[in-house]
Amino acid sequence: MSHILDDDEGPKLYSERQDWADVTPIPQYEGVRPIAPIFYTPEYTDATDYFRGIVRTGEKSQRILELTEAIIRMNPAHYSAWQSPLDVELKLMDGIAIEFLKTYQVWHHRRLILTALHDSSSTSPPPTSAPTSARDAAKSELDFITRALLTDTKNYHTWSYRQWLLAFFDLEELWAGELAYVERLLQEDVRNNSAWHHRFFVVFGRVKRGGEVGELQDVLKRELAYTKDQIALAPNNPSAWNYLRGTLEYTNTPFSSLETFVQLYILEKAPELDVLDLENPPPGPGAQLPCVASLEFYADILEKRGEKENIEKATAIWKSLANEHDTMRKKYWEYRIKGALTNTNS
Amino acid sequence: MSEQRVLRPTPTDGFPSPTSELQAATENILKNRIPIQSYTSTDKKLLEPILQKNLHLEYLLRNLVQGFPSRYTSQDASQPWLIFWTLQAFSVLGVGLDEKVKKRTTDTILALQHPNGGFAGGPGQAAHLLPTYASICALAIVGKPGEGGGWDQIDRKKCYDFFMSLKQPDGSFLVAHHAEVDVRGIYCLLVVATILNILTPELLEGTPEFIASCQTYEGGFCNASFPGWARTEDKSLDSAAPRPPLGEAHGGYTFCATASWVLLQPYVRTYYTGTKPTPTINTASLLRWIVNMQGNPIELGGFKGRTNKLVDGCYSWWVGGCAVLAEGLLGVDLVNHEPETHENDGSNHEGWDDVDDSLFNRKALQEYVLYAAQHHAGGLVDKPPKFPDAYHTLYCLSGLSSAQHRVVPSETRRADLLNYWNTDEAPKDKLDELQRDAFSNVLSWQEEEGTSKFVGGAVNRLNATHPIFNLTVTHSEGIVAHFYGRKLPVRQFRKPQAGKSS
Repeated sequence: MSHILDDDEGPKLYSERQDWADVTPIPQYEGVRPIAPIFYTPEYTDATDYFRGIVRTGEKSQRILELTEAIIRMNPAHYSAWQSPLDVELKLMDGIAIEFLKTYQVWHHRRLILTALHDSSSTSPPPTSAPTSARDAAKSELDFITRALLTDTKNYHTWSYRQWLLAFFDLEELWAGELAYVERLLQEDVRNNSAWHHRFFVVFGRVKRGGEVGELQDVLKRELAYTKDQIALAPNNPSAWNYLRGTLEYTNTPFSSLETFVQLYILEKAPELDVLDLENPPPGPGAQLPCVASLEFYADILEKRGEKENIEKATAIWKSLANEHDTMRKKYWEYRIKGALTNTNS
Repeated sequence: MSEQRVLRPTPTDGFPSPTSELQAATENILKNRIPIQSYTSTDKKLLEPILQKNLHLEYLLRNLVQGFPSRYTSQDASQPWLIFWTLQAFSVLGVGLDEKVKKRTTDTILALQHPNGGFAGGPGQAAHLLPTYASICALAIVGKPGEGGGWDQIDRKKCYDFFMSLKQPDGSFLVAHHAEVDVRGIYCLLVVATILNILTPELLEGTPEFIASCQTYEGGFCNASFPGWARTEDKSLDSAAPRPPLGEAHGGYTFCATASWVLLQPYVRTYYTGTKPTPTINTASLLRWIVNMQGNPIELGGFKGRTNKLVDGCYSWWVGGCAVLAEGLLGVDLVNHEPETHENDGSNHEGWDDVDDSLFNRKALQEYVLYAAQHHAGGLVDKPPKFPDAYHTLYCLSGLSSAQHRVVPSETRRADLLNYWNTDEAPKDKLDELQRDAFSNVLSWQEEEGTSKFVGGAVNRLNATHPIFNLTVTHSEGIVAHFYGRKLPVRQFRKPQAGKSS
């Protein structure tokens, strides 16, 4: 808006401008008295009337960029206005592309414009002045995303775009800093679920062809150790528990492999330990126990193990969740009890 | 039933962080919305929260007739949404519209139809999947067959071509030309294609696999998975290549993906025979994620849209309303249901649990909407102290409705619908089979009698809404029957009466 206010007289309406006199503005509704109309400002009505005018004539010229920018500044959700500069830009780029037909970067830059424009609701502007090399563009884009996430650490589109960028370019130098970046964010806020999801994406979602089975055991070990440490800091953190479950499921690792760890969190008071067991970090001093997620986890272990005695123990836990520790989900815990009993009986 | 409210703050384990601080601040605001009497009083009148129907109707009427203030310019590309949110809120409140308003609305919507198919967010704008859904659903409410009625002016052929032009190699769809892939768009496309009877195997090929690829390790769904094919020379899809989800599990996307999954089942049943492996989703982890989005008593049982985020009234519909879809996929209803024998006007709290098959807390969700999401000047909100808007007004009301009524797939109704299709004639071919299945799949959703429950009494009753479309069952039946050229068998049980109409 500032560029509008800078000018004392205000910007001229398109209807007052000589250089737009050749365009016939088109009002939004012709012959219809619309229901539920929006009361636009005169500037917005003026600009969008001219926009409809040039859409009808199919004009593809430079001045469309100015018009659509004006509209986007007033309403960034105007997806049609985002499309038009793209068409114009591509037309301009056709000349360049023909000149360097075999230059991969040119086509890649086109694709970058295309795909960056996809996310008009993210904070990224169309890279009209992007560096010539796609690699540099991707790197500076990653930096830009990092800056955007500083002010809004859980912005869905920004995170989604970051993950696309990483997978799409798939450059070692882009991936290299991601794990440390996630750890920094989780140090600031261990409950930031977006950061936990990003960790899963970086660790397991990376598009790779061919096997890496040997590595997987090392990765699993590292992830379990990290997650257990984060759970110890703040046991009532569903983000960390979901990550733990996700990791085990993704690697087909039985939940029972964490029985010792989980048992530290299911009692009202953590047991006193003589020896510090690094594999099984105990709850921190302020921990409020038992935590719901650990009870659920332990009951899952018991259910999986089967046999009457284990199902009875699991049922007792589910009952305590339903009636005491997690009453909002009473129905769900009762459903779990029914499910376990049905399976045992059949 | 004397009930002790235990409002335990979410534990922070002596280890606060920005998320837990924001959470604590929100809990402080929310817990003050429960009238103090409800802790102590035994006088039932003081306990009962009231849905301020008249205030909300006035708010909606103001928007519809007078229009929206200029701050709604951000919705200029969502004009059919403003109309749909408003009209559907009237429907949920049990209010019909007069013929003049219906005609004006129909004309307004038809002005959004793009010459090349689909509907745009405003006249002269590009066609887009999201406004196409909003336009068709608005026409389901106000339209009718015949000249100027709206339904027969929808260009189904061009709409189909528009859909096909958005199709990607991985079975997903762009939301508009040059735009992004997003499961919201796929949901909108599937609703429209189902209603308009333009489903084909070509349209749906690969779409179930794409939806399945959007489920995250948490159990909910994200907005899109990574298009690995875009990196290959010939843009071909390697079905074995990983398709990692982009973005975390989210309420809006989870609803859209789950409803899409339900809408895709007729295609899966008809065409995934023989060698083609049937794609699967993890319904158990989906259900777990959904129920975990319901906030604790101190958050009044409202729903969140993501793990460790705040409750918001709109997720009453996107997540609360999604529970019944997940239950349907798990076959919960078939296992648990025992027919109700005694008459129930739905207003007594005693025996709540006895009739309630739902796996989320219906009573608590109603309390969130009634206590926390109503604005004193009319309209509904995300959470206090926010202002109302058209979007939150509808999705709070639809969410409240989905907590009042259980609308579930009825096998009896499905059989009736199929019998009515044509008792003698076997399906001509697979496409015919797909159409029959799609038709009966969506129209078999019926309110389960005797299971409605109203916090605050029957005076707060809203109309039931179709869990897939978010239209009333009556509006769903009308438009679907039209485009499949079928008459419908009479519903076997009593039609619920609107709580209040004006």
